[in-house]
Amino acid sequence: MSSQGKSGKTGLIFFPAFDWAISPTHPEREERLLYTRDQIFEEGLMDLPQIEEYKPRLAEEKDVARAHFCVPDVGSQVTEAHLIAAGSTLTLADALEKGEIRNGFALVRPPGHHSMRVVHGNRGFCNINNMAILVEYLRTKYGHKRIAVIDTDVHHGDGTQDIFWHDPDVLCLSFHQDGHTLYPGSGFVNEMGGPQALARTLNVPLPPGTTDEGIHYVLDNLILPILDEFKPDLILNSAGQDNHYTDPLANMRFSANGYARLNEKLAPDLCVLEGGYAVETALPYVNTGIIQAMAGLDYSHVKEPDYVPGRFVQTEGMVREIEHTVAQVQKIWDQRDELTKDALEGLGDFYRRKRRVFYDTDMINENQEEVVRLCPDCAGYMTINTSAQRGYGILNSAFCVSIPRKACSSCRDDAKEEYAEHVDDKRIGYVLMQDKDKDKFKFYNNMTRTERGY
Amino acid sequence: MLIGIDVGGTTTDAVVVDGRKVVKTAYVPTDHDNLLKCLLLALDELVQGIDTGKIERVVLSTTLITNMIAEGKTDPVALVLIPGPGTNPRDYALGESIILDGAIDFRGKEIDRLKESQIKEAGASIRAQGLSRVAVVGKFCQRNHAHELKVYEILAAALPGAKIEMGHKVSGQLNFPRRAATTMLTAATIDSYERFAKDVARALKERKISAPVYILKADGGTLPLDKSVQMPVETIFSGPAASIMGVLALTEPGESSVVVDIGGTTTDLALILSGKPLLSAKGARVGSLLTQVRAFAVKSVAIGGDSAVAVSSQGCDPGSESSAPGTRSCCGSLVVGPHRDGSPLCMGGYGPTPTDALRVLGLTQIGDAALAEKAMQIVAQSLGCTVMQAAQKVVDAVVDKIVFEINEMFREWEQEPAYRIWEILKKEKLSARSVVGVGGGAPPLVPLVAARLGAAAIVPEYAPVANAIGAAVARPTLTLNLHIDTEKGEFSVAEDGLMGRVTDQKMTPEDAERLARRLLAERAALLGIGEYAGEAEVTYSEVFNMIRGWSTVGRLMDVRMEIPAGLLPSWRRC
Repeated sequence: MSSQGKSGKTGLIFFPAFDWAISPTHPEREERLLYTRDQIFEEGLMDLPQIEEYKPRLAEEKDVARAHFCVPDVGSQVTEAHLIAAGSTLTLADALEKGEIRNGFALVRPPGHHSMRVVHGNRGFCNINNMAILVEYLRTKYGHKRIAVIDTDVHHGDGTQDIFWHDPDVLCLSFHQDGHTLYPGSGFVNEMGGPQALARTLNVPLPPGTTDEGIHYVLDNLILPILDEFKPDLILNSAGQDNHYTDPLANMRFSANGYARLNEKLAPDLCVLEGGYAVETALPYVNTGIIQAMAGLDYSHVKEPDYVPGRFVQTEGMVREIEHTVAQVQKIWDQRDELTKDALEGLGDFYRRKRRVFYDTDMINENQEEVVRLCPDCAGYMTINTSAQRGYGILNSAFCVSIPRKACSSCRDDAKEEYAEHVDDKRIGYVLMQDKDKDKFKFYNNMTRTERGY
Repeated sequence: MLIGIDVGGTTTDAVVVDGRKVVKTAYVPTDHDNLLKCLLLALDELVQGIDTGKIERVVLSTTLITNMIAEGKTDPVALVLIPGPGTNPRDYALGESIILDGAIDFRGKEIDRLKESQIKEAGASIRAQGLSRVAVVGKFCQRNHAHELKVYEILAAALPGAKIEMGHKVSGQLNFPRRAATTMLTAATIDSYERFAKDVARALKERKISAPVYILKADGGTLPLDKSVQMPVETIFSGPAASIMGVLALTEPGESSVVVDIGGTTTDLALILSGKPLLSAKGARVGSLLTQVRAFAVKSVAIGGDSAVAVSSQGCDPGSESSAPGTRSCCGSLVVGPHRDGSPLCMGGYGPTPTDALRVLGLTQIGDAALAEKAMQIVAQSLGCTVMQAAQKVVDAVVDKIVFEINEMFREWEQEPAYRIWEILKKEKLSARSVVGVGGGAPPLVPLVAARLGAAAIVPEYAPVANAIGAAVARPTLTLNLHIDTEKGEFSVAEDGLMGRVTDQKMTPEDAERLARRLLAERAALLGIGEYAGEAEVTYSEVFNMIRGWSTVGRLMDVRMEIPAGLLPSWRRC
């Protein structure tokens, strides 16, 4: 893997947002990382020569706009806590690129992996997608081409999947508890990316009760071999900790040692905390283990008070099911080139998908129509027509245009035309332009007829 | 009248202060093999012709513990750890230790039991090694003392006459390895320190000085000598603390300044931000050990008036220039420090030094002008420039280095991690409004450093004895960290391991602060500094509601209350 063989420290940003909560009793509350703070401070981890602690910074609104269409604008969708959590990942990215650290862990909240490309509010405790913001930053600022995002949270990383759905250069692989039994109810094997990027999205749904053994089977037999073939510039881990056997919101049987071992084998360049809500029984131990594994320290002394090796055993049926799923996903990966070719053959100049997105935290229903030009010369520009309503509140609607990196002139011209056509169209609230090629972003308000941008 | 004595690295400085007036000063060379003797020599010289009955207070700052540790003359200690789950204790650079089973978690719950037979074995092995000092430290022992107490009990029975220190009595701040190091150092120095304290007390009695005697701590606070024997390690680095307190006494209140103490071979740098000396974030580094000793953040830079100046014969090496200007400036060929070959040439030494350069430039009058010129000629020849140019280059290199390190200190302060939104948003960029020089090398160099930083240069009138003045007029400091867990109905005090019950499940932060204030007053009285308890302020407070299954089951509260470093009212009043 890319970080192996490198020397240097492990960068760590600990931002527990002790003054931010979704609501006082919500799982995503002030207390979430309190015991983790106690544990890692008492361990004296920040003093060890293998670890360098960094101070978080605020991400800029532009950093957010690179990954998201926030409706009506970035400022309306984020709080300072979100910008600091996202900014922490960027601070570590800079440290990594400068060679100050060999890998890094952004132990931050609030999390982000359920935030999709269009943001109308909070979904699954997430407003903006820290990981996606990090990926876009790494590509824009440092010119990385291929990036692998491995989502190790118990929930399907549906937001990250959505943002990179059409991108053949970002491999999004998520393993998670089967969507039939857990939020957000997606992440099945047949979700494998847009027609130009088939098999660059891979999903590995696992049966409830999967243990260390099961997840390491997936890692050893699927994830690591695929990474060997994909050869990413960087490997990033969306490090949720709710596969743990004590997590109150899920049903898996993963241990702190299993998590540490996963990070040792995966050797991610950067890790970003996602979910995990067993605040006392899991998080202090899992986080300690992950930090130690990334820093090359001995993690064998990390153990939950009630854990004994061999405590959890998968049934024969579960083992077979996991093996079967892995074989299926492997097949999809192996056939990736044919799949893409076949898919593109059956399509014309544009690919369309219509969907509904539900924002559970904020009770918002969104309707989307996404159109991507299947361009022979570039990744093709994209438009999204979105409207969303919170309860019986205002129907917020927006027309979003995205110009890809290295856009061809025809796509660029057409995208600009699409933007111009929707400006001042009173049937739509806002018109948004994301020019990833020039790193310029515009927000037009059709009601006030004003434009701002960065 | 107040007496301050600072037993420093080269000289012992003493001063008598009356109100804001410096009545008398005395200096004697420091004899490292007999600190007590030079302390008393300075005292005797100082009190000649002074009515000892009018002395209200004597404050000492001493290098005793610093030297013992630096010279490896501390007593051997058996370190007994109860690390529980987490880091492999071998990953901490703590040296040899005995590891016991048993564990306490962050809430103070026992998660693994002690094994009595294992503790007895530990006792036997300590006895077999002939050790009579033991440090017992458990992870999260500050949240529950039971394990440390049990181990203490068994070891005390197995090792009659042994001195056993427990972690929770030494510090309760989160950081197990630092607490272990601090406890170990306490055990290693406590006997020698106790002897020293007794000797000082006896000597003062012989001199009919009945005024209370205090010792200066690393955080710039004073503590009665007889109470300080419980915490000898707190007295390390009291020299730099004395200088910083001296600067605080000799400058305007509320000022933000850089303290630059330029000596022969080292320059100590410290920051005073809005009138408050900056403390090192987690505790002092003592030799190779990281401790939890509260200490001013002092950066020692290996450059001073006596630093050897050399011109390397190799050509330019631009690659090595980036990180530390000064040590390698002037196209990579001029090297100042870090070592010292001897005195400056102008003062009878052998080679060129920054002092010679300052003499040549007319920035100081010490030493012989002709010899200084000779010294700079050596440099000029190697550099192929004039004598004046050479002297300027040497001085520039010293100033570059000091300015670089000052900027680094500010940068490090700005980069200190923060864990709350408001902490991240509020931290403004700070710069020094003034550069205050103390120490022998300060007067000629401080204006140059200040000019580069765009700050005012201040060399106070009593700069040479600023350290002794600082000791004389420093007030006591005291910190109390209170942790309350209302679900368990318990509170604990980090500093002395006091634990107690709380009955109010709905305790408010105000209740917690009231409790902290009461406990601080009690602790201050115990330490003989009760009269200062009213000066305590809350410096940190946090409250977490514990939610289990969507309902609140209790609160976790932390309050830090402190009497910060400050000056006696008698000095402030005038």
